[in-house]
Amino acid sequence: MKINGRYIIPFLCVLILFSSCGKDKEIDTDKPFIDISFPEAFPKNCDTIYFGESLNLRILLTDNSELGTFSIDIHHNFDHHSHSTEVTECNSDPVKDPVNPFIYIKDFDIPAGLKEHETNLSITIPSGDGNGIYDEGDYHFFISLTDKEGWSAQKGLSIKMLHR
Amino acid sequence: MGKFVILVFGMSMLSNLLFGQTNCTIKGLVVDENNEPLTGATVLLSPIERATITDAKGNFSIKNIPKGKYKLQISFIGYHSLIDSVRMDGDKTYNARLRLAALSLQEVVVKNNYVESRKKDESLDIEIVNDNYLKQNLGGSLMNSLERLPGVSNIDIGSGQSKPVIRGLGFNRIVVVENSIKHEAQQWGADHGLEIDQYAVDNIEIIKGPASLMYGSDAIGGVIDLKNRKLPAENSFGGVIDLSGKTNNDFLGTSVLLYGRKKWFFVNFRATLLDYGDYKVPTDSVDIYSYRAALHKNRLRNTAGKEQNYHLSFGIIKKRFHTRFYVSNTSSKNGFFANAHGLEPRNVDTDLHDSSNRDIQYPYQKVEHFKIINISIFSWDKLRMESNIGFQRNFRQEWSQYVNHGYMPPIFPDTLSFLPDLERQFEKYVVSANLKFLYQLNDHVQVNVGVNGEYQDNRIDGRGFIIPAFNQKNIGGYALGKYSLPQNQMIQFGVRYDYGVINASEYFDWFPSPVFENGNTSMQYLMRAENIKQDFSNISWSLGYNYHPGKWSYKANLGKSFRMPIAKELAANGVNYHRFSYEVGNPNLSPEISWQLDMGIEYSSRNFAIGMTPFVNYFPNYIYLNPSSEHDRLYGNGNQVYYYTESRVFRYGLELHTHYELFKSLQLGIMGEYVYSEQLSGKKEGYTLPFSPPPSVVFNIKYQKQKIKFLENAYLSLDYRIVAPQNNIVPPEETTKGYQVINVAFGGNIKLKNHSINITAQVQNLLNTKYFNHTSYYRLINVPEPGRNLIVNISVPFSGNFKQK
Repeated sequence: MKINGRYIIPFLCVLILFSSCGKDKEIDTDKPFIDISFPEAFPKNCDTIYFGESLNLRILLTDNSELGTFSIDIHHNFDHHSHSTEVTECNSDPVKDPVNPFIYIKDFDIPAGLKEHETNLSITIPSGDGNGIYDEGDYHFFISLTDKEGWSAQKGLSIKMLHR
Repeated sequence: MGKFVILVFGMSMLSNLLFGQTNCTIKGLVVDENNEPLTGATVLLSPIERATITDAKGNFSIKNIPKGKYKLQISFIGYHSLIDSVRMDGDKTYNARLRLAALSLQEVVVKNNYVESRKKDESLDIEIVNDNYLKQNLGGSLMNSLERLPGVSNIDIGSGQSKPVIRGLGFNRIVVVENSIKHEAQQWGADHGLEIDQYAVDNIEIIKGPASLMYGSDAIGGVIDLKNRKLPAENSFGGVIDLSGKTNNDFLGTSVLLYGRKKWFFVNFRATLLDYGDYKVPTDSVDIYSYRAALHKNRLRNTAGKEQNYHLSFGIIKKRFHTRFYVSNTSSKNGFFANAHGLEPRNVDTDLHDSSNRDIQYPYQKVEHFKIINISIFSWDKLRMESNIGFQRNFRQEWSQYVNHGYMPPIFPDTLSFLPDLERQFEKYVVSANLKFLYQLNDHVQVNVGVNGEYQDNRIDGRGFIIPAFNQKNIGGYALGKYSLPQNQMIQFGVRYDYGVINASEYFDWFPSPVFENGNTSMQYLMRAENIKQDFSNISWSLGYNYHPGKWSYKANLGKSFRMPIAKELAANGVNYHRFSYEVGNPNLSPEISWQLDMGIEYSSRNFAIGMTPFVNYFPNYIYLNPSSEHDRLYGNGNQVYYYTESRVFRYGLELHTHYELFKSLQLGIMGEYVYSEQLSGKKEGYTLPFSPPPSVVFNIKYQKQKIKFLENAYLSLDYRIVAPQNNIVPPEETTKGYQVINVAFGGNIKLKNHSINITAQVQNLLNTKYFNHTSYYRLINVPEPGRNLIVNISVPFSGNFKQK
């Protein structure tokens, strides 16, 4: 059996391609991190937030190369559909139907080039809207963080929202 | 008897006619028991693998055979094959009479010689398997049963649904064809499986590489061509009852086939019923992103399902004309892992979900797929014409408990046309038609010409938005020439032109959301998708070369393939409930182009074979769903936004296989696969593509014996699969550890009078190993692969003959 030169050439080409295509660029494979373990952090799992007041969001966001953006979402958990990412269990109220639950969705930029960012953000929680005052009870406080590359981290906290 | 076998065996044989230039000729006549000529019987001369088909008068001849001793095999559907050895020391006449087989349906239509010659005729790399292979490797879904093949894997979600992946490409980059018509469903969706009844498929051809030329847009990554072409023998009737069971998910299934044929008219009917419970995984809890969910008795909560499929096929088989109708309806209902569906990992009512492992609670999907297909073939001496016409309706609903997200009202209004718990609904109507001509110009040149057209109308409903309603028209035409050269060489060249138009309709939310403009907040019904009208056209081509000197075979193929952007890529704007992401389309995407060089080299002798199929592939604009650093603020719960973007992508890889027959009854085999992908530009430059399969190798040892006591064709096979870690990842993936799994398969036939009952059994994941499959959708939420699973299938045939006049 003789192997003709013209069949060897394409295979050699392939081999060359195979060997020449090593990774030359270091890529980021690390996810960012949301830290609420320090004493001043707020909110923490099972904390209470009051309507008609401002809350001071204190969370520490870190990444190995560069942070992206974060978002905060607060929605009702009257049916207990959400659970938290934390180990601690909170006492939840009985399941109930919503009437006028509070909703909050907002995304926030982080200044460019940061590997670490501690928020000190005041968020005003109104006590009601055109439909009346907001429902009290179990709410879910959801934090999502991305880094520049699109890796993400989430925190889901069980909180109570009450009128003072 | 018609000339249809030519059509069945296709053009593959023809090229084999055209080779060679030496010495002797063998010719002869093939008849049946009544001395009637058999048209279309295959005549194969081994080991030179020269084949031909008998003509209308039952005559055949193979010219230019070098002197020597050969094995002659004459086979025909419905008849016992005749195998004889012939010494060629001059021209020879060989007349043969074939005996009718008791049950032709049990005959494997796809003989090895067909597979071999089909592979040699195609310059792309292909795999061909039949229903025996499927039974011996029966998995939870068709693609599960096929994933053992090198270069083939699947993206799973749950135990009953999986999407085909060929060399790392999946979704809309793989075309699935059933009975010559492209299967059109919601293949863009992550949670969508194939609406294909694996019991109803008897021949599967997998093209591992871009095949736009013959199959049009979307075949950029490969093709899975499913056929159902077994025919009952003349004047026979009968059936086959299949019973299947699996221990892991308490699966029970049955598929019943009834068939009958008078001289030229046949009818087949099949019903398949499957029912399974939640599947078991070797773990007590799973970490869904940062959320931990405990499992009850190792069961993946709410992954039970059921399926009911019906197929009717009938047709006319005449000498020069052959028409078949296929009517089928598949319907399935299956649950999604309840903790991981929605806007975020969910708390579930464990009392409700864990009370039974067979019930299907929210969230679940229901899918119906209805098809009517006609395949008609006319054949003349040199020309063959084939038309395929198909109608399909795909109807899919996702149901889950109403949870307001974004600014949806907390209490669902009763003024809407859809139910609150209908998460999404997709309805698709598709009409497709193909017309193909095959012309044998002379001994060396064969020409294929064809046109394909398709129209689809897609409607949406339900509370959640992801893609708009749209309609789409595609038309394409191709010409392919095959030119046979001396010394078993062949060149093929083909060109194709495609044109497509997509019209997507605008969509407004059914609820108002607050919009902040000029210092004021107003409540507005947001537009999620605008009217889009895009048209695309493309020229693709393919150039292939095959060479088969003796025991070696070489192939090379260079081609340009393309894919039209799909509605989701152009106009998505909503939450992916399985990934908790917000996906946004881009109406300015251009058609995806792929350049690929495929090669194959193989040596095969009687007891040893080794082969390698490398490929190199370049996409100037791979359409990619890129996780950005942004968050959405008007839908969902502030989810991370993923944008459809284009990037240059370079890929290469190869499959390897070898087997060695140590003794006649003992065979050793190794199959391996490797794919590397890298994005060369864009936001994820340097990263791989999502769901990149890790390198893997399967070591197989198979013992088979013609007869062990009452068991015929007995086999015992052990697969030891080693999979490398996948550290080459892209957001939001996680690296996946390597693993080793052992699967065992055994079975055989038990002869009872004229029939033999076929029993196949497998133990998958013999050691109940906990491992993660990088290409599973559930990998993202840390769900391991199913634990140990004993699978048994019993196939009981019965038959009879109509009285002949």
